[in-house]
Amino acid sequence: MSAPTLAPRTTPSGYLLPSIHSAPPFFTQQPNPNTQAVVTEHWTKLILSYARHRRLFMLRVEDAEVAGNDWDEILRNEQIHRRLLPSHLEHIITDMVEKNRAVYEPARQTRSVLLYWRTPEEWAEVLHGWADATGQLNTILTFYEIIEPPVPSQLSGIPMTLLRKAISVLAKTSRAQIISVADGEGVRLLPGNSSR
Amino acid sequence: MSALKRYTKPVDGTIPVPALLYQDEDLLASQDGVGIYDGSQKSPQHQSGSVHVSTLRLFYIDTSHPRSRSFALDLSHVCRTDYWAGLLRSSAKVTLYLNTLPSRSVTAGLANAPDSRQDAGDGFGVWVCEVCGNRNPPGLSPSASVVCGLCGVPRSAVPTVAASSTPTAQPKPRLAGETSHLSSSLPSSSHHLPLPAEPDPPSEIACPACTFLNHPSLSTCEICGTTLPRPAHPTARSAPPSRPTSDDEDDAADAADGPRMIKISFRKGGDKAFYAVVRRSLLDKAWEGPKPRRAPAPSSQEGTRAATPNTLARSGINGILQDVQTAAAATQTTMEDALQDLETLKVQAREMVRYAGELNERLTALSAAPHAAPGGAPVEPEEATFIRASLAQLGLQLPNAPVTLDMLTDERRWHEELARELAGVLQGAPRAAPAAGMMRRRGIVALDEVWGGWNRARGVALIPPATFLLVLPYLPQCTAPPVHARTFASGLAVLHTPPYTRAAFSARLGGLLTLVGPRTTVEVAYEEALPVGLVQEMLLEVEAVGEICRDEGEGKVDVFGGRGHEVHWCMNIFLSYVWDGQD
Repeated sequence: MSAPTLAPRTTPSGYLLPSIHSAPPFFTQQPNPNTQAVVTEHWTKLILSYARHRRLFMLRVEDAEVAGNDWDEILRNEQIHRRLLPSHLEHIITDMVEKNRAVYEPARQTRSVLLYWRTPEEWAEVLHGWADATGQLNTILTFYEIIEPPVPSQLSGIPMTLLRKAISVLAKTSRAQIISVADGEGVRLLPGNSSR
Repeated sequence: MSALKRYTKPVDGTIPVPALLYQDEDLLASQDGVGIYDGSQKSPQHQSGSVHVSTLRLFYIDTSHPRSRSFALDLSHVCRTDYWAGLLRSSAKVTLYLNTLPSRSVTAGLANAPDSRQDAGDGFGVWVCEVCGNRNPPGLSPSASVVCGLCGVPRSAVPTVAASSTPTAQPKPRLAGETSHLSSSLPSSSHHLPLPAEPDPPSEIACPACTFLNHPSLSTCEICGTTLPRPAHPTARSAPPSRPTSDDEDDAADAADGPRMIKISFRKGGDKAFYAVVRRSLLDKAWEGPKPRRAPAPSSQEGTRAATPNTLARSGINGILQDVQTAAAATQTTMEDALQDLETLKVQAREMVRYAGELNERLTALSAAPHAAPGGAPVEPEEATFIRASLAQLGLQLPNAPVTLDMLTDERRWHEELARELAGVLQGAPRAAPAAGMMRRRGIVALDEVWGGWNRARGVALIPPATFLLVLPYLPQCTAPPVHARTFASGLAVLHTPPYTRAAFSARLGGLLTLVGPRTTVEVAYEEALPVGLVQEMLLEVEAVGEICRDEGEGKVDVFGGRGHEVHWCMNIFLSYVWDGQD
């Protein structure tokens, strides 16, 4: 019942939950702003870490409202009969957007976010590294070819919005060039100073 | 023709009697288990029911057929009563002798369907006074609804109503019936009364002084109050030429109509009390005029018109003004009386104070005398002992006397004295029993309770809250252990001893939560033996500094989706938490 008995545990999907996930107060929005800041920080870390583990890009407030989605393992804890309330999740999401760990997607609403478990800058490096490793520098790639490559990569399934952000980061350092192709848009990745 | 049929009106007995009453009518008494005699014969249809008497009417509600056999009798018809106490198997009876009905009214009343007669007589429906425009409410009795409630002018321009000055000679139902026939011009077949012969000339009367054209029913000018010329009818009794006079009533008709009386037979007792009420109701004659409160105080000029009903004496603007003046005069008198009383009281109070001072001086001198002469016997006169005892009983004993501002000159010293007194109230006097004092057993008390308790202890010269708050800073110096004041975030202020400071409580709470796990507010309150509301405040205070956190349990997963979960308090596990999950 008391704090020392809490311990980390592994979920069916193979994710190692932190011990704090078994503490009932973790699921309550604390009135004390200092305490809540700590709680929010832990939740942010948990959400991003789990998203990276499952390769999840989107988080919606609705995910806390109804069970039966990808986020059940962390938004609910059946063992202590607690779940994260939608209002609490909304508060956490707001905080994440403020700290640039997520961005509202689509824009102009506050109920669903695109998670930055890698920032666009990090994704840009991943993209460039992938193109470099697969020898596709200087060739024109359609977005489709990047999102669904024949050989699965780290970029498989990346949302288009996030991909555009990553490409624009590369374009700023002259390492990518956006080109219009017959069936939409394409990009030519250029070798550049990848250290920066 | 039986007396019952001629004099009574059918009523629907399924309606409760109070709902049948007019607004200005009061129910006085009721009696069940009665039968009715029509004349001297039993009326076979009215043998089991209850009677109710009001200020205006007598109701009979039949038990078996309340809808068809119940009736109401206007008390204005009753001219005499008789009482028979009963003998052997014959039950007590009250006999009501009825006065003669004008023959024309009888035929008219019978020719009319009873319902139309009732509609007209009841005068239900709002009507607007022609003179002052006042909207008169429905539901008043016939006698009250023929005059306007505000200005007292009779209801319609027809002078017939003025004849209400002879109430007994002119039975009411017929009068009201005529009024409404003329005013509402019902398309009634029985409307055989000719309209007043001269419609225009009496309609407006020019005032001799100011030439204002007055309403015909006014006796004085509405503008200047001058008596209006009424050569033919000086008392405004301008009966229409067509009105049948009471001379029409012929006693010869009585013989044909049968005995004019109704007997009420009381099978279940209650006769005496009921008879007394009926007598009183008959003596009051509530149907004759408006309620007494409407009648202005009789003035001297009214002596000449003693026969004129009040409704005429106070009609028009004059009447309204008179009413207002009377009310104002009454208020003035009352106020003057009250102020005079107050003045007297003041003078006497001053003397009382002087006497009290003298008495005190004398007593002090006496009690000081034995000390001055230690050898002498303690010769305190008996009177002094008695007076002292009386003073003590009155709560004026000097050792207990509350500290007041006039005892001390310096305000700061006054506050200190008050703090010392408050300390006594809270912790008991040094030599008092340990249980005495509000905070002897409790370590934390709400400020309002302390204030109330202190003022109760003082009894006189109560301390205002502002002064009370000024005294609080001096309190720790006078108390042992020191008592401090504290205000919670919600605004609740308390006095508390050291074990109830935030830090001390927080430490104690920490021990509890670590030992036994999360607790609800109620459980903590039980542990601390304090009121739940107070503990809630203390917990919120500890939470505000981040030493505990809450588990609202609202996220509880249950099949009903319910949120009926109490807040559990836990130690703040987040502050010292180090991430131990997957990165």
